Amino acid sequence: MRIICAIGRRGGPELIGRLAEIVGGHAEWLMLHVIDKGPRHDLEDFLRGPLHRRPDHGSPPHEMALDEAEETAGRAAVDEALAAARQAGLKAEASVRAGNPERTVVEFASEMQADLIAISGSEGAEGHPHMGPVSVGHTARFVIDHAPCDVLLFREKDRSGIL
Amino acid sequence: MPDLHTSVGAAIFLATLAVIMIRPYGVPEAVAALGGAALMLAGGFVRPAEAVTLLVNDWNVYGFFLGMMAISALADQAGIFEMLAYRAGQWGRGSGMRLYLAVFAVGAMITAFLSNDATALILTPVVYALATRLRLAVLPFVFACTFIADTASFLLPVSNPINILFMDACGGNLGEFLHHLLLPSIFCIGFNIAVFAWLFRRDLRMSYDPALLPVVDLPDRRYYNFTVVLLILVAVAYVAAAANDFPLSIVALSGGMLLFAGAARYRCLDMAKLGKEISWSLFAFITGMFIVVRAVENLGLTTSFGGWLTGLAGDSRLGAVLIIAACTALGANLINNVPMALVMISVLGAMHAHPVNRALVYAAVFGADLGPNLTTVGSLATMLWLLILRRKGLEISTLEYFKLGVTVVPIMIMAGSLLIWLNL
Repeated sequence: MRIICAIGRRGGPELIGRLAEIVGGHAEWLMLHVIDKGPRHDLEDFLRGPLHRRPDHGSPPHEMALDEAEETAGRAAVDEALAAARQAGLKAEASVRAGNPERTVVEFASEMQADLIAISGSEGAEGHPHMGPVSVGHTARFVIDHAPCDVLLFREKDRSGIL
Repeated sequence: MPDLHTSVGAAIFLATLAVIMIRPYGVPEAVAALGGAALMLAGGFVRPAEAVTLLVNDWNVYGFFLGMMAISALADQAGIFEMLAYRAGQWGRGSGMRLYLAVFAVGAMITAFLSNDATALILTPVVYALATRLRLAVLPFVFACTFIADTASFLLPVSNPINILFMDACGGNLGEFLHHLLLPSIFCIGFNIAVFAWLFRRDLRMSYDPALLPVVDLPDRRYYNFTVVLLILVAVAYVAAAANDFPLSIVALSGGMLLFAGAARYRCLDMAKLGKEISWSLFAFITGMFIVVRAVENLGLTTSFGGWLTGLAGDSRLGAVLIIAACTALGANLINNVPMALVMISVLGAMHAHPVNRALVYAAVFGADLGPNLTTVGSLATMLWLLILRRKGLEISTLEYFKLGVTVVPIMIMAGSLLIWLNL
């Protein structure tokens, strides 16, 4: 059995721990973290607007600082998850990719012929104002709708229902 | 019934505003404004000599815009923004909420002394990188930067270039500015922080490891120190100049030139980058709009509009303040706050006999600075919000944003107008 664990910026070890309790150690685990370039590209497009032209942000040093920050954070997230998996005696590998998180997770699952995708329900919900009931984040929702295999959705333990 | 001449002039004005709003075929705002100005000149709505005099008299505005942009760009090259973000990370001491408050504080300080554009355009990517590295949710911090850029825009005359347009045309000094706008400013900043802290409360509960803070790689420590000292001097000079009716452009240009000399002295000057950091199209846009708005003023349209607004307010002073603030805010949304500010300056000129004319000037400043947050058109911060969320997609729709905007901003405008009125 091949399992893709969609690792967000945080919460990787917790996801691995809870998943190991459910499926045990008889599986091949692939940890995937996707660096979401979307908001950053939107930000850069905006900064290049006609009256607010700031091409500087498309070139060093801000470009380099942003790349470095994303790489560092992504690598730290998967390393943390990988360490948790190995500590639990699981056979695991890690990968960091850049792109649209929901599409990348689905494509990666197809590419790897995965049997299961494990994802936190809060993936894609971070940073959005909580103005009403939210079931799952948009990344998790897209994966549920488009995954080529089964999906196991983990809920945050401290969810307090509506709002 | 207006005559043909007036109708043609009004049509050119409205067409110019429409092109600025809609930007058909991606026509830049500056081209639209210059096109409108050319038509107004060709149609005889403004005489060429009058246009030249008008533009020459606005030297303080052009000089301030140039100096302000140069100071921000050179401060960025010295590493000031990275260092401030790093300090905010230190002040946060591992708490997401404390870091959030620190970002608001840094944003308010940069807006107050370097203008709202410096916060929205330069601080935002720096804070984005910081939040990413600390593995925090990025969007609340990005929104904090872009919104504080608007809500802290009326702390000082130099906090938003729009303020300079008003101060240059309508007069006034720092004392008067603070008398009318300090309380609304404090209220709006506090309200902004409180509402956002509540909205993003779940993400801000996160903690971070301060050891993850990046080491700031300054291009040259001496140039950095020089820039810090100079920025403090510029801030003091801005306050002193605004208090004594001294042209702010001279302070801004002097500061820019000294920073330029310092960058050259410490071999940190990147001319190509500096040239790109200055939005040259802004000068063309303002030039075009100065002429277009003068043309409608010559036609008496702004006087009529002022008369209508006066009639609408009746004898109520609070009504007049509210109407001017709300009308300016709405116009800043529908078009862009530069042309709306110029129209309101002309309208206020026509309302000079109004008993609370001076307060109305500041009500217009307040509306023009804050208004763009109301809906989806016309604001840097709201455009950014929507651009990001459109891509992110599902959690918050345009309608939801609109609900937030029309809930929060009218409260700010009403409360701010009330505070201006209470201070009459």
